[in-house]
Amino acid sequence: MSRLETRGLVIDVPGRADGRALDLCLAPGQVWGVLGPNGAGKTTLLQTLAGLRVPRAGEVDLDGQPLAGLRRRRVARQLGLIFQERQDGFPATVLETALIGRHPYLSAWQMEGGDDVRLAVAALERLDVAHLKNRLVNTLSGGERQRVAIATVLTQSPQLWLADEPTNHLDLHHQTSVMTLLGEQAAAGKVVLMCLHDLNLAARWCDHLLLLYPDGEACWGPASDMLVPSVLERLYDQRLATAEIDGAPVFVPMR
Amino acid sequence: MRRLTLPLALLLAASLAAMGLSASVGSANLALGELWAVLSGGGDALSRTLILELRLPRSLSAFATGGLLAVAGALMQVLLRNPLADPYVLGLSGGAAVGALAAMLAGLGGMVISGSAFAGALLSTLLVFGLAHGTGSWTPSRLLLTGVVVAAGWGAVVTLMLALSPAERLPGMLYWLMGDLAYARTPMPSLLVLALVCLLGFPLGRSLNVLARGPMQAAALGVAVRPLEWTIYVTASLLTAMAVTTAGSIGFVGLVVPHMLRLVLGNDQRLILPACALAGGTLLVLADTLARTVIAPEQLPVGVITALIGVPTFLYLLYRSR
Amino acid sequence: MVIRLSRGLLTGLVWLSAWLALPAWGETCAVDDRQRKVCLEEPASRIATLSPGATELTYAAGAGDGVVAVVSYSNYPPEAKEVASVGSHTRVDLETLVSLQPDLVIGWVTGNPAEQLETIEALGMPVFYIEPRDFEGVSTAIERLARLADTREEGDRAARAFRDGIAELAARHADAEAVSIFYQVWDEPLMTVNDAHLIGKVIKLCGGHNVFGEQSRLVPRIDDESVLDADPEAIIAGGMGEENRDWLDHWSQYPGLTAVDRDNLFFVPPSLIQRPTPRLLDGSQILCEKLEVARARR
Repeated sequence: MSRLETRGLVIDVPGRADGRALDLCLAPGQVWGVLGPNGAGKTTLLQTLAGLRVPRAGEVDLDGQPLAGLRRRRVARQLGLIFQERQDGFPATVLETALIGRHPYLSAWQMEGGDDVRLAVAALERLDVAHLKNRLVNTLSGGERQRVAIATVLTQSPQLWLADEPTNHLDLHHQTSVMTLLGEQAAAGKVVLMCLHDLNLAARWCDHLLLLYPDGEACWGPASDMLVPSVLERLYDQRLATAEIDGAPVFVPMR
Repeated sequence: MRRLTLPLALLLAASLAAMGLSASVGSANLALGELWAVLSGGGDALSRTLILELRLPRSLSAFATGGLLAVAGALMQVLLRNPLADPYVLGLSGGAAVGALAAMLAGLGGMVISGSAFAGALLSTLLVFGLAHGTGSWTPSRLLLTGVVVAAGWGAVVTLMLALSPAERLPGMLYWLMGDLAYARTPMPSLLVLALVCLLGFPLGRSLNVLARGPMQAAALGVAVRPLEWTIYVTASLLTAMAVTTAGSIGFVGLVVPHMLRLVLGNDQRLILPACALAGGTLLVLADTLARTVIAPEQLPVGVITALIGVPTFLYLLYRSR
Repeated sequence: MVIRLSRGLLTGLVWLSAWLALPAWGETCAVDDRQRKVCLEEPASRIATLSPGATELTYAAGAGDGVVAVVSYSNYPPEAKEVASVGSHTRVDLETLVSLQPDLVIGWVTGNPAEQLETIEALGMPVFYIEPRDFEGVSTAIERLARLADTREEGDRAARAFRDGIAELAARHADAEAVSIFYQVWDEPLMTVNDAHLIGKVIKLCGGHNVFGEQSRLVPRIDDESVLDADPEAIIAGGMGEENRDWLDHWSQYPGLTAVDRDNLFFVPPSLIQRPTPRLLDGSQILCEKLEVARARR
């Protein structure tokens, strides 16, 4: 079990005022959603939380220790990232791609063994891409690549999941299955934080929400407190119609 | 493990065959029996000189140079996340050329030319890295751009030196620029470095695989990106400088060999790096054998042959690939 | 006592044998154009000449029968064309050279790659560098080669003939009026020679004044404009091959040139003047005659 805390965190978005400093506490079992319009700094926040970007102020603590002071290898065993953009300049197969999730666990001289392959194949099966395991990643469709990327993090099996638009490129069925997977991870005591564009997915799967405004303002709390139509309308500068279906609020943009 | 050992065993067999061929053919005719006699410690004085003093040192040098260039090329490609990178893309050969030609202009020979070329290559490395670093931090595209522009600058200096040099020194300079193994007689340092890099490259291999997917992804998977990139840069530069010092700037090996191997063997650096060493070495040994026999006694520059072999092979593989 | 005596005797014998050996050694030693003393135990009988000029000089020295290896363009004397080639002077095929087993290699200081000559010496073949930079250099090169090949009689005769011929030309033109000339080595790019070049020395020998003699480089690159500016009385050119006047026709487009106006555009076969060999005497004689013609047209 791991927890991630921020103290007075200001992410570094060039040319923007500091806005409100973030004091978040991501505890085991929680599913956080980050909402905000384009350019609000969602991806920057995610990378800052992962320690891949230096914040303008404040710090990020992993289990009470400053993230910046930890070795990347140690961090990678606890914290996994699903990127929105991926580089596939060099050809690699789906299985090879999933196997790099084992990188933080293997010593320099160690080759990936049978156990590692089993973990990777299981992850691919969970994401419904095991049948593609010998294909080159750059020959797959966008949705298939997205699922391979998620399977890679599943192979990595971190305590903390940071996901940037995990449902990107996915059809409705696979969106649901990916959200279910993330929900299961949280239920197993892990922490999940994801950037989302789809309000309804957030309303359906997240128990905590962080709203990021383009000017650096932010507010966060339990999902039930945050899903207020007037707040969301201000966030997106878009009027919304609201209904409740299957026990969850549903938001539809007004014409 | 079999996935690694089988291709490497095949490539090792190919390189031994190439060395054998290179030792057995030349402008002087030697029977195979004579070759065997010399290798087993006998043979007459002339055959011993031909094989032990001329052919073997030269083909070992060719092997080491080709291997160094191919490994350096593979490393540069990972560093720059650009499959089109080659060992010279950051202006290293230009710096070496200016160093070597300056020594030739001054009428110096032998070791001085080598030393001067090595110094030029290192100077170019530091220049490119310093400039690309600038006041902020470097990115692959900034490094690439700096390298290309610095290379263009060296190119101009080389042309200027050629234009100003006395006519009788021109052929030597041109041969140096075209890449030539006629001088190479001390292969041991290069071979040792090549073996060392392959050995030490193995534990870094998986990190390189991850780095090839981008620095963010690599950092997220636990790779200390900046130190690793420094290591690659310094290593690739030293390997290239060593190769250029031995044989001038031989083109194409560093670009094409890693590429061909990736098309055939995939992109696991733990396999690609030693495979590059073997395949690059083999290619250059074969090319040099052709260079010194094809219109013997006239000698062709080996760089011409590498390109003439490399281009069609590469295009064919590219055409065949998905 | 006995021991001391015999030791003295032994020392004496050693000295004696050294003394006896000396003349033989002295006969086959010569200083090359890098000022190194090269000594052979036996006169050279298998000679490799690594420049066309060295080939000519070796034949002139009477050692032609001993030449076993030459480089490309060794086209004089005609017999040299029959000798085995070891590639071009810029890249020698070491393997062929080694298998011809020469006992003396004649190197070219600035023409052959230094590394290859070092390799040849490391393989145990003595290298004798020659690079005549003046007339006397040609004569002594012939004499030194003749000494190494033990063909002194013929070599000394050839050297004397060359020396006397040059001396005669010098005497004949010692007081001649200077004729300003431009010597064209190559056309694209346009190249000439300065006074330090052997051709520059031929020009001086014939009482000519090389308009580009003061240039710092041995073979300066120039342009048409500088030739028009210098306005020489005569233009002398070699050419791509023998008997090719194309380069001279180029200058006819400038009728304002004194050389064109007086029709002083002369051709000298390049092989007779561009190699430091005995044939340079023939080339010098032709060039001197041309300058005589130019003087007569004043």
